[in-house]
Amino acid sequence: MTAFASALWAEGLKMIRSRVPLLCAVGFCMAPLAGGLFMIILKDPQAARSMGLISTKAQIMAGTADWPAFFNLLAQAVAAGGMILFAIITIWVFGREFSDRTLKELLALPTSREKIVGAKFIVIVLWSLAVTLLVFGLGLIVGTLVVIPGWSTDLARTAFLDMLGTAVLTIPLMTFVALLSSAGRGYLPPFGWTILTLVLANIAAIMGWGDWFPWAIPGLFSGAAGPRSAQLGPHSYLIVILTGLAGLAATFYWWRDADQAR
Amino acid sequence: MDLAIETNGLTKRFGDVLALDQVNLRVGRGEIYGFLGLNGAGKTTTIRALLGMIHPGRGEVRVLGQPVGPHGRGPWQKVGHLVESPSAYPELTVSENLELARRLQGIRDRKVVKEIIERLALGPYALRKAGTLSTGNLQRLGLARALLHGPELLILDEPANGLDPAGVIEIRELLRKLARERGVTIFMSSHILTEVDRLATRIGIIHKGRLIEELDADQLERSRSKRLAVRARCPKDALLCLQSAGYRSTVQDETILIEDERAIEHPDEVARILVKGGTPPMRLAVEQQDLEEHFMHLTGGTK
Repeated sequence: MTAFASALWAEGLKMIRSRVPLLCAVGFCMAPLAGGLFMIILKDPQAARSMGLISTKAQIMAGTADWPAFFNLLAQAVAAGGMILFAIITIWVFGREFSDRTLKELLALPTSREKIVGAKFIVIVLWSLAVTLLVFGLGLIVGTLVVIPGWSTDLARTAFLDMLGTAVLTIPLMTFVALLSSAGRGYLPPFGWTILTLVLANIAAIMGWGDWFPWAIPGLFSGAAGPRSAQLGPHSYLIVILTGLAGLAATFYWWRDADQAR
Repeated sequence: MDLAIETNGLTKRFGDVLALDQVNLRVGRGEIYGFLGLNGAGKTTTIRALLGMIHPGRGEVRVLGQPVGPHGRGPWQKVGHLVESPSAYPELTVSENLELARRLQGIRDRKVVKEIIERLALGPYALRKAGTLSTGNLQRLGLARALLHGPELLILDEPANGLDPAGVIEIRELLRKLARERGVTIFMSSHILTEVDRLATRIGIIHKGRLIEELDADQLERSRSKRLAVRARCPKDALLCLQSAGYRSTVQDETILIEDERAIEHPDEVARILVKGGTPPMRLAVEQQDLEEHFMHLTGGTK
């Protein structure tokens, strides 16, 4: 087994044994279940009216009870929920080494620090993508069970790629969460950062320059703020890539060169 | 001398605080080096510098002949360490924590985990989650991880921390055996001075970031002052008797202390004088300054 495979095995074991990633996955699966509930409400306007607030909320969120609206709802959930849940998992993967004081066991090993950080990022990416697939798969089951109109294979393929694209655009932004978890030596600084970027992303989108703000781009891609093509350009994707690479490089640098005096 | 650890002018500053000031350590292979210092003296900072966890502001660190750093590089496949309080992944069992360490150490032989569990008497806890372990057993797990790969050099920060008296003796014997039978070099910091006194073949004392003394156990033995302690039913009469016989004596807590070399070498003579003077001794013992007293004397303590 190579050193990198060992590091990956170690990170995988920590992930499997912990309850945090599992709870995050369960939390994320609430999105298709809530979407299914909205569809049931919207399918029966009579019953919907008698349900008051939840009916109004369903109409605002989804509009109509059909597959395009349902998939759109799921994509938005991945954009907004993904930013928080992917961040939680990143904070856990990196921050737990500080809160459990296990970092010192990872610094003077034949397996280099770069390999350990690389393994952590790979575990985060795999987990994030797996949860996205889980949400999509559960969405298909829920949509089928509540019986909504408008299904087509093309629509499902496009919706799948949109959701995956939203997740793929969200994941690179997690490198800064990893950096803050490491440099901040725990959970609070990266959590504060996540909230800050969510607020700023909303402001940027409202101001009309969200296509230039990396943390607003996954939301715009998901269609949460209207048709995607009108707002995003190649510069938007480039900004996400560059932001991801900057965070990645800074995290590697920090693990390799920062003083670990605590 | 073949050195396992060598630092030259090791200096580290954290902001305005000078944590290490020109520390020149020399630890020979096979030695058990006791590293002593008060809290905040620079023990853990030195250990972290030896393990490449912090970068020296100035100076260099060599471990097993290889420079430590840059970027945390070092001969880590030959070094076992235990830094500060023991830690482990709480949701993993003792076995899993060690299996994880085995893989990260790049050890192919799977049996080493079982062997180290037996050696450190962790068998009953092998399947227990580390988060439920007592401090003592967590310390054993930390030691097991440090010993897992059969290192040539062990760098241990307070290895007896949290262990019960039987555990302290057991670990002491284990370390002594490792040094004697396998030639493992042990660099250990401890605040339990008696432990260091019993185990170390060489001692370094760090104070306010400076290595103020380095000496062999033999040297320490020679440098320790001795005295004859005498107890009698009437200390006043005994003191007068001894002073009139020409012994320089003082009384402390009802005990007469004689630092005269003559008395230390011939306590029988002192006994004879006291019996003849009508104040026979109840207790007569040659006492030696212990490491604790030597340490407190050096670091300006009060003992």
